[in-house]
Amino acid sequence: MKKVLVILLLAVLGYYTAATFFDIGFGQPHFIKGLEPVKDIYLAQTVKTLKVSNAVTSIVVNFRGFDTLGEVTVLFLAVTVLGSVLYKKRHEVGERSVLFSASSIVTSGSKLLFPAIILLGAYVFIHGHLSPGGGFQGGVIIATGFLLMLLSYENYSVSHTALSVVESLAGITFAGVGLLGFLHGGTFLQNFLPTGVLNNLFSGGIIPIIYIAVGFKVGAELTGVIYTVLHEKGQSNG
Amino acid sequence: MVGTPVLFIAIPLLAAFLIPLLGMIWKELVRIVPGLVLTYLLILAINLLNHVLVHGPIVEVIAGWVPPIGINLVFSAFSGFLVTLMIFLGLLVWIYSYRFKRNVEYEPALKYFLMLMMLITGSVGIVLTGDIFNMFVFIEITSISAYGLTAFYKGRNSAEASFKYVMMGSIASTFLLLAIMIIYSQLGTLNMADIARKIHLMNPTLKIVSYIFFVTALGIEAEIFPLNGWAPDAYAEAPGPVGAAFAGIVVKAAVYAIIRYTYTIFDLSSSFSFLIIIGMITLIIAETAAIRQEKLKRMLAYSSIGQMGLVLVAFGFGTKEGVFAALFLMLNHAIIKSLLFFSGSYLVYNSTEKNIKEVNGMSKFLPVTSLLFAIGAFAIVGLPPFAGFWSKLSVLTAAADSNMILIMVLVLMVSVVELVYYLRVVNRIYFFKKEADTKPHKPTFNALFVMLVLGAIILLIGFYPDAVTGMLHKASASLMDKGQYIHNVLSLK
Amino acid sequence: MDSTLFHYLDYAVYGTAILVMLIGFYGTMVKKSLLKIVISLSVIDSGLNLLIVTIGYYKGGTAPIFSPGFLKNFKDVSKMVDPIPQALVLTAIVIGFGVTAVALALVIRLYRHHGTLNIDEIKNLKW
Repeated sequence: MKKVLVILLLAVLGYYTAATFFDIGFGQPHFIKGLEPVKDIYLAQTVKTLKVSNAVTSIVVNFRGFDTLGEVTVLFLAVTVLGSVLYKKRHEVGERSVLFSASSIVTSGSKLLFPAIILLGAYVFIHGHLSPGGGFQGGVIIATGFLLMLLSYENYSVSHTALSVVESLAGITFAGVGLLGFLHGGTFLQNFLPTGVLNNLFSGGIIPIIYIAVGFKVGAELTGVIYTVLHEKGQSNG
Repeated sequence: MVGTPVLFIAIPLLAAFLIPLLGMIWKELVRIVPGLVLTYLLILAINLLNHVLVHGPIVEVIAGWVPPIGINLVFSAFSGFLVTLMIFLGLLVWIYSYRFKRNVEYEPALKYFLMLMMLITGSVGIVLTGDIFNMFVFIEITSISAYGLTAFYKGRNSAEASFKYVMMGSIASTFLLLAIMIIYSQLGTLNMADIARKIHLMNPTLKIVSYIFFVTALGIEAEIFPLNGWAPDAYAEAPGPVGAAFAGIVVKAAVYAIIRYTYTIFDLSSSFSFLIIIGMITLIIAETAAIRQEKLKRMLAYSSIGQMGLVLVAFGFGTKEGVFAALFLMLNHAIIKSLLFFSGSYLVYNSTEKNIKEVNGMSKFLPVTSLLFAIGAFAIVGLPPFAGFWSKLSVLTAAADSNMILIMVLVLMVSVVELVYYLRVVNRIYFFKKEADTKPHKPTFNALFVMLVLGAIILLIGFYPDAVTGMLHKASASLMDKGQYIHNVLSLK
Repeated sequence: MDSTLFHYLDYAVYGTAILVMLIGFYGTMVKKSLLKIVISLSVIDSGLNLLIVTIGYYKGGTAPIFSPGFLKNFKDVSKMVDPIPQALVLTAIVIGFGVTAVALALVIRLYRHHGTLNIDEIKNLKW
């Protein structure tokens, strides 16, 4: 009975959402005619003023950089909340429950892959302003490297202090670079470095700096999340 | 000018990232630094508000791109008033919790103060921002800290309450994003002023759909009736000062968002009567539910929901008097409900069930706390010498001005219900014999100080309402003037 | 090119995204296991993100990256897809991740406390 009601409710919701989006149209310009959509300005300024090749990066880090600062804060908060929700007193922290240990093929294979994964992650966030990818994507790749190690070695451990130091320093870099914009007579998060030549590694002013900080931060935070959740006791104690 | 509005966001974020490092040097710093930050922000807010009341709104551009390209922050008389109120309350919550959390170990304390600071920052961001997607980001910052604070205590059913909140909150963010994308797909911009200028070009159906999605999403945070299932649990299970922060800060930010959408962004004429209807339903249902509650904090939570309904009704009049009344109500509710939460959590400090029964005869053991709770109770009902009287009076006169006699009658009837359940508690505090064997807990010096400050403000506004009405009139004028808002934001070069 | 076929395809893309969302909503309302509810929440997010990215698509558009190849061969900015929805989705994904992590932590704590994941057996989860 409940399922029928739920399906009916969802059918109504789905119908109206679908009708709305079919109205908007797919694959063709849908903005009302005569308006000047912001995206045209973004695309033009990305090359002209910022000298960044990846328009998504220029939007995420510069035009809408304030969103990204908030986004980084959301991740930081998620780690904080996770730590608070799962907090246990020191002597109660459980050992990881391992059903069976990984074979030597898995362990040596992971060891071999680990540096390559970290390198790929670093590459992705360093080249965030030139190619697809960026701080978030690179950070996630780095965290998968640590996930691999945590899965294959049962007593692999990451220093919590180191993670939180990296996290904090990266966050301070982001907010600090933003505040430095004021010193140069501009506004918060405004670019104050020379922008260089389009499609060079050293181009885009503060954008690569911020994205590298974001990469470190996301990598450290996701690793922290995985680590916190892995160190939960397997069975219930209540 | 001593600073710019972006410092309200940048300084707390910088501090939040710094605090884990500072904690490694000296553990007490994790408790002190948030207070210092909030004190600085309060000074900044008061300075800026004084500036704005004289010289008109400050529009701050971020990353050097003028609106509509970049994100901007607007510190007008209206948003500045709310920001000052929120930071003031945040500071009080911090003072109250400073010793309250003394017995808590280092790591939970670090997390508690971080989450509290981010809760305030997120709410301030919602109020300041001039960009609909940026508002979404701040709403998420606020909600995630709220989830964490709700689940802070281990012993109670706080994880359940928080899980409910998470579910409602993530559904809210889905609807919010849908609404944002509908608007973006039509107008190609995310800036509020730019949208407000162009919205008349939008297809009316799409406009209505996105407005409904917005109100649904924000209604979950603002505790509007069918969407407030999470609120009583969250208030009851969260630590006492956090309940005050929810009622005084988070809900205010969500109501602000609804009002900003209704008054500035959308130009739907029917949205005002829509606000009156949902506000009225919320008011009636919440107040009748409050009378049936057995736990003190759940009762306060339902009362808080009801008050928000009343605020929406007042905003729904759409007149200058209505907005003034609504702002007055928001101010009073923030102060009075915080006092009730602060003093209420000491009245039931040592009990496990937190039932209303357990306040019996507390006036003999905690005379000052009981007196302050009674003042709060009388004030929120709207009895004459206290602050609540003036706000309720202004709601009624605003209703009379708009010829809504039915609304007046209903509000008066609901007030009687409110009077009954608050008097019931006060009656128990003063005239019942103490029966339960729970030991009363003396409030700490900090807590007492905070409660006395709030009590003094209630009396001050009660005897001398002119202290705030001037500012409220300017704030309501700044909300009503849509053309001026658009002009201020978009004329930057 | 058969234009009617493409017309149906348009419906298919939006339809799929909305269907994924609806499946997620169904899961949150009907499923009894806490873990499945959390999974449903992230299914909603996936559908939503797909929907948002789809809005920015233009037929025959290229990625919004001014690579040397693009600058040499095309030069026409109007050929690029809309980058804003992509940037917004990036933000939305990260936020969705944060919320999912918090929800999972709560599930772990509920399991620690009650020893079950079934919402019918956890009294206070009803409303």
